Amino acid sequence: MNAKHVELPDDLVLRVRNLGKEYKLYPSPRARFKALLTGNATHRSHWALRDVSFELRRGQCIGVIGDNGAGKSSLLKLLAGTLQPSCGQIERVGRVTAILELGAGFHPDFSGRDNLYFGGSLIGISHERMRELEPGIAAFAELGEALERPVKTYSSGMSVRLAFALVTAVQPDVLIIDEALAVGDQHFQKKCIERIMAFRSSGCTILFCSHSPYHIRHLCDTALWLRGGQVAQFGATEPVLAAYDLYTRERQEREQQPLAIAGSCAVGTESGKKEHKANAADALHSPVSAMDGSSARILSVEVQDLAEPVDDQPGLLQSRNLVVTITARGRGAERPNIGFMIEQSQGVGITSLGTHEEGALPRQVAAGVWQSVLTFPELPLHSGDYVISAYLFDETGLVVYDEWLHCLHLRFVAPKLMPGLVQLPHHWD
Amino acid sequence: MYSLLGECRALWQARSLLWVMTRREVAARHAGTAAGVLWPYLQPLLTVAAYYLVFDVVFSMRLGDSAPTHAVGAFLVVGALPWMAFCDATARGMNSLVEAGGILQKNPLPPVLFPMRAVLASSVIFGPLLLLVALAYLPQHGLNWSLLALVPLLLGQLLLCALLAYALAILTAALRDVGQLVTFFLSVGIYLSPILFPLALFPERWRWVLWANPMTALVLGYQNVLLQGLWPQTAIWVALGVWLLVLAVLLNGLVRRSRDQLVDWL
Repeated sequence: MNAKHVELPDDLVLRVRNLGKEYKLYPSPRARFKALLTGNATHRSHWALRDVSFELRRGQCIGVIGDNGAGKSSLLKLLAGTLQPSCGQIERVGRVTAILELGAGFHPDFSGRDNLYFGGSLIGISHERMRELEPGIAAFAELGEALERPVKTYSSGMSVRLAFALVTAVQPDVLIIDEALAVGDQHFQKKCIERIMAFRSSGCTILFCSHSPYHIRHLCDTALWLRGGQVAQFGATEPVLAAYDLYTRERQEREQQPLAIAGSCAVGTESGKKEHKANAADALHSPVSAMDGSSARILSVEVQDLAEPVDDQPGLLQSRNLVVTITARGRGAERPNIGFMIEQSQGVGITSLGTHEEGALPRQVAAGVWQSVLTFPELPLHSGDYVISAYLFDETGLVVYDEWLHCLHLRFVAPKLMPGLVQLPHHWD
Repeated sequence: MYSLLGECRALWQARSLLWVMTRREVAARHAGTAAGVLWPYLQPLLTVAAYYLVFDVVFSMRLGDSAPTHAVGAFLVVGALPWMAFCDATARGMNSLVEAGGILQKNPLPPVLFPMRAVLASSVIFGPLLLLVALAYLPQHGLNWSLLALVPLLLGQLLLCALLAYALAILTAALRDVGQLVTFFLSVGIYLSPILFPLALFPERWRWVLWANPMTALVLGYQNVLLQGLWPQTAIWVALGVWLLVLAVLLNGLVRRSRDQLVDWL
């Protein structure tokens, strides 16, 4: 095995050197079989990762970003040890726990407790140690009596809870998370994030792979950007995310150019409208709210003095001020946080705001219903079409309870017809 | 043989896990039944008992002079039970990697654990049964030195199954058709062995075909010891040794070529 447990200098917990993973693509399983028997190479090589080197220190939190197929999952699996590298070295110290995909590997005919002990032995927890850990795991998974029942009687949420409680029962030195956080109900998601944050504050190194720049920004102090299987950038979160953001925007523009040439602006707004309607409908009939009447969600997003949309054209803002009222239902007595984003309708982000960032507490308007009114006096935007998104977070701002992406389109006509996007604060001398 | 040694080292390092997995595998084979752990033992035992009842008690069939024994049932049982053990271990071991795909993709475990678990679970079930049968044949020849040959014979069968199952498991991972083909060979293999008919009944010029069956040597060995009270002939040890060596070399090559991509195929 190339993943070695070694003594590493200083406070390093993980050192990756010239790591590469080659997938051998055979035209058919028959060719693969022949190559296995004869040793002749008939495959095409696909290098999912090439020449990846980096080091992680104790207590660091790394976010891994990149497009689909950039090698994120391969990297995580190599670090977790479930894949064998084709070249290079992974050196690590201590316990490495991976939350790759939860709930797999349970035997449906055995009880939850039985699966717990067996699953524990697979990740290196002995029978004796498991006896000590069991009460804590049972409490965290909130299974109660069900722990004695066969796993086949569990709901998917229950087995995921048990799996998460099991893999995080022992604090690891390196925790690898692959976007598996969106599991279970809101209550359990929150508990998961709290446990991960507790690991982090007690010195566990976390490697986190996500498509959500929001989470990476909030959780990670370092980011690793993979592009085509190679490290594009590795460093402090903000500059790396900014570079990645620029890269995705440029790529999107390149992809959209042929469309724009075909004169499909109207089509663009059309699809934008449809997306908005679909999203609003989704939010209204979201499965979460259907299952659980008490779950947190956004109730309404309203803009003052906004004219009704005419045909395919967005409604015109008939005021100099933009006043947005976002109403949401929180989870129980907890005070949620509300986020807001305004973008140009073609997708350039202008401003993102969150109540938790600015300590602006939402107001309780009825039991469990919270409201924030966001006002932009003398809206400093230039004329154009804009689109608003609303977000609902938990108290800490880490769990996203609900998001209404591009839920409201509006047209704004600025009194001064100068080109540009926004009137920046300025003075002339 | 370097790759094979690496696999042995991985097995040794994970020996306590291997034992946990083996016990679990045995439990999984009877999960949800009322008779529980008895079932895996009862099934082969009842089959063997049926052979004895039908051939020796009801029909009292007799074999010719050239056979190692005259009672058909007694002859059949000595070969059929090891053959059942062989088929069980090989078939389960062969499918073990493909079945464990989900676990292997999520846990950093050496793949060799899974075929070994299947083979060990089979031997935990059939090992005691084979010893029980040996005990039942004891009165025929009494205690004598040849019984000691059962130890290398049983260990030889365990090793043979382990090597063959792991090799087939890797081949099945590469090409699923292997599983279908081997299942066919396991069902006709009993006719290509001296289990149903004594070796002497096979036409002389076709006898070599039997040695292409890895179980022929072992079955002849068991017949020597249990039916005749003799130490197995040299030819039996040579054939067993050749089979083990060939399989070990083949497996070594398969492990070396598939090492860094095996999990991707599952």
